[in-house]
Amino acid sequence: MKRLAAVVALLGLATATACSGGSSNGSGGGSGGGGGLFTTIDVNRPGLDASAPANPYNPKGNSFSAFNAMKIGWVKNHLTDPNQALPGIAASWEIAPDNSSITLHLQPNAKWSDGQPVTAEDVKLSIGIAYTQGSTAFAVTPGAAGAAADVTVVDDKTLKITQDMANPSPKFARGVLDTTVVPAHVWKDVLPADFWDKLKAARGEGADAEKAREEVTALGEKVLAFAPAKDVSAGPFVLERVNPGEALLVKNKNFFNAANVAPAQVKFLNYTGNEQIWNYLTAGKLDHSGFVAAPTDVMNRIKSAPGNEVIKGYSPVAVGMAFNQSKKPYDNVHVRRGLAYLINRDEVTKVASPEGGTPAVTTSGIHQKAAPAWIGDTAAQLEPYKPDLAKAEEEFKQAGLEKKDGKWTLADGKPWKVSMHAPAGFSDWLSAQENIKSQLIKAGVDAEVVTTADYPLYLEELAAGKYDVGFWLMALGPAPYDIFQRLYGASNGWTNVAGKVQHAAPGKNGNWMGGPEEIEVDGTKINPGELTAKLNTAPAEEAKPIMVQLAKAANQDLPVIQLWDYVNNQFVNNSRFTGWPHDDEILRLGSGVLASGVWIQLGMIKPKQ
Amino acid sequence: MSATLIPETGSAAASMRRNFWRGVWRVMRRKPSRMVGVVIIVGFAFMAVFGPMFYPDHLPGDTNAITKPPSWEHWFGTDPQGRDVLALVVTGSRYVLLSAAVTALITVVLGTGLGLFSGFKRGRWDTVLMRITDMKLTIPGLPLLLVLATVWKFGNPVQMGLVLGLLGWGGVARAVRAQTLSLRERGFIEAARGLGLSTSHIIGKELLPSMAPYIAMNMLIAVTGAVYAQVGLFFLGVLPYESNNWGVMLNLAVFQAGAMITPYALGYLLCPLLAILLLTLGIVLVVDAMDEIFNPRLREE
Repeated sequence: MKRLAAVVALLGLATATACSGGSSNGSGGGSGGGGGLFTTIDVNRPGLDASAPANPYNPKGNSFSAFNAMKIGWVKNHLTDPNQALPGIAASWEIAPDNSSITLHLQPNAKWSDGQPVTAEDVKLSIGIAYTQGSTAFAVTPGAAGAAADVTVVDDKTLKITQDMANPSPKFARGVLDTTVVPAHVWKDVLPADFWDKLKAARGEGADAEKAREEVTALGEKVLAFAPAKDVSAGPFVLERVNPGEALLVKNKNFFNAANVAPAQVKFLNYTGNEQIWNYLTAGKLDHSGFVAAPTDVMNRIKSAPGNEVIKGYSPVAVGMAFNQSKKPYDNVHVRRGLAYLINRDEVTKVASPEGGTPAVTTSGIHQKAAPAWIGDTAAQLEPYKPDLAKAEEEFKQAGLEKKDGKWTLADGKPWKVSMHAPAGFSDWLSAQENIKSQLIKAGVDAEVVTTADYPLYLEELAAGKYDVGFWLMALGPAPYDIFQRLYGASNGWTNVAGKVQHAAPGKNGNWMGGPEEIEVDGTKINPGELTAKLNTAPAEEAKPIMVQLAKAANQDLPVIQLWDYVNNQFVNNSRFTGWPHDDEILRLGSGVLASGVWIQLGMIKPKQ
Repeated sequence: MSATLIPETGSAAASMRRNFWRGVWRVMRRKPSRMVGVVIIVGFAFMAVFGPMFYPDHLPGDTNAITKPPSWEHWFGTDPQGRDVLALVVTGSRYVLLSAAVTALITVVLGTGLGLFSGFKRGRWDTVLMRITDMKLTIPGLPLLLVLATVWKFGNPVQMGLVLGLLGWGGVARAVRAQTLSLRERGFIEAARGLGLSTSHIIGKELLPSMAPYIAMNMLIAVTGAVYAQVGLFFLGVLPYESNNWGVMLNLAVFQAGAMITPYALGYLLCPLLAILLLTLGIVLVVDAMDEIFNPRLREE
């Protein structure tokens, strides 16, 4: 026991000294000349692995999107149009008006860091590799929406990719552009010679197709494990070395826009948690960091460090309190409404995410910034669920709940405890639930907060229907289908396979929300899952009336209570570099893309004079 | 004198007890720090038993006072929910101290029982029990606890204490056995055996009392060990979240409130740390006093 105590005490001491060390030596890092070294972190992946290969598909890979890994294009964060992008390996592209194809024109001067030109063959091989990993445009799942049908190399610098129009998606082009490009002369042996035949077979039906699909997916493992002898990059930088503390990248002289790339070197610092990033930021060490949740006091410290600036922008994500409607009493809409009237969202946001979120105006399923563009005036007509104790009590009474000695009980007199779950590391969610717990207890509703070890386990247990109430990311724009499939998709019973929508009973096939199959909106019954599936293929103008119906459905049926809409905080430092964009659309880019890399390669970032 | 001693009368026993307490008082008085130790331990026991009664079941938070530095109103500031940090530490003490007490009890009962038995019996029983103890001692405690935490949620302090106790008895068992082996060869045990006294009398009345101080000290030290272990586990975030647990408070202070970066959250970090420090100090001081009370060589002036 004593040994154990010693270990624990040592651990505690080590943490304490490591942390205080980080904050005390920080003040020196704030100043410095312009240009030269650019310091940042890979905000998507904590923990550098010095032995990991420079492989963009490896989860630990020392490949940093937009720095030493390039995509065909850099998709933007537009409010409504999912297909807008900045040029990457492709200098320009044409999208057919009916979204049936996209023609890519590669950068004429693009070269790999070893001097070889970037060709259409590189892109084709990269698309093949994307198939082994599965992406929105390049998937072997039969009938997947927005999948590519054909990849044709037109000439050395031009490719044409057509969409399978059996189940088209308006965001097909986004799926194509958001594909990482790797050098064919390094990666060529990863895919077998007959890969494209196999792929064709995999897209058919029957046992052969099934076998081919398995083979393609099996290649995915090989792709993940592939380790190029040295980094060959078409991006503005190339990997020089990695140690456990930092990864160093140097400028790629062969990059097509090298003349406009300001930094000579880029350093990615290692971190394991938010608290370490706060340390870097308060010390003014980082030239750029993507979104990191931080409490107000820490945020003020970060802002007061010399040169630091926090750029706020639009982030198409919101968080909601989701109910498992197979559990009593959450199957009753009046209970959900009553809770919505009880919870003061302003207070929750103030406690949990004062810097990284804006209280939700109401539950519409859409981020409040995107809502006007999609549902226009309807947004104002929705029930706002302002905190109102009397209305909440009325709803609870309608649901048959009873109040005894100031405490609400279930209709059958049994005690009712709102049991909220969150993953242990999500401090903002935990804070929010702790606050909601306080609010509910004050109103006579017993509540508790339960944590789960990590996010993957949380999602697994949530999907298995183990929780009554949990937090759920929603409104994941910009594509309308992506927004509503979080409420009326697989988690609520509707699966969309080959354009056919099927509804599974609560508790089956991942349906943990267990909502009703039909909801009455404005006097007519609608099937929200089928409407959501329609969004997958509907062009923007057709999507709008559907979005209105779905927003109304979500607002009155409350499968979730939308709590706050996230704000995209980008942390930059003006001491060494300037020219940071303040435009919402490029403050946040595709998944896994490090925005500052894109800004640098486009020549927006300048050394400070 | 000898005449009064042989037929042991009630008054003699009472006067011995009186002498003992007088001795205790003398030892205590010699170093005031020992008094402080006793006061601290009594204070903590009081805090765990009665402290939570002074607060409502659910501590109220003030969203206008999130993570505030210490003030007259909130001696150790407030947490990120706007709750009084001191109130959290007081209400959280019940879990920590109850599980520590359970741990200490199990450690001592199991350790002493096994140690006495195998030391006194010797032979085959001794061999078997000591090999089991050796095996137990080779199991590293913290990794095992980390693994256990994934399957067992330790929502109840008694569960927590049980697990820590079952992990911690090995050292005590070994030490008590060694002590028993040395004592059983002493004259007074020989004499007791020669008088034909029963084994239970020899163990209960002769052996155990001479080892009592040693066992009591081990028990107190086990308390600190248990506090460190559970607070450490909660700090690492492997155990379920309970807002007024000391370990969770430390974790949230560092990773949620940013106590290492902003001074506002320092009270939130310091209060549970201070509580642990004080408790350890109290125990160390009392152990020091006990040492002198029971060790005749130190007692003689």
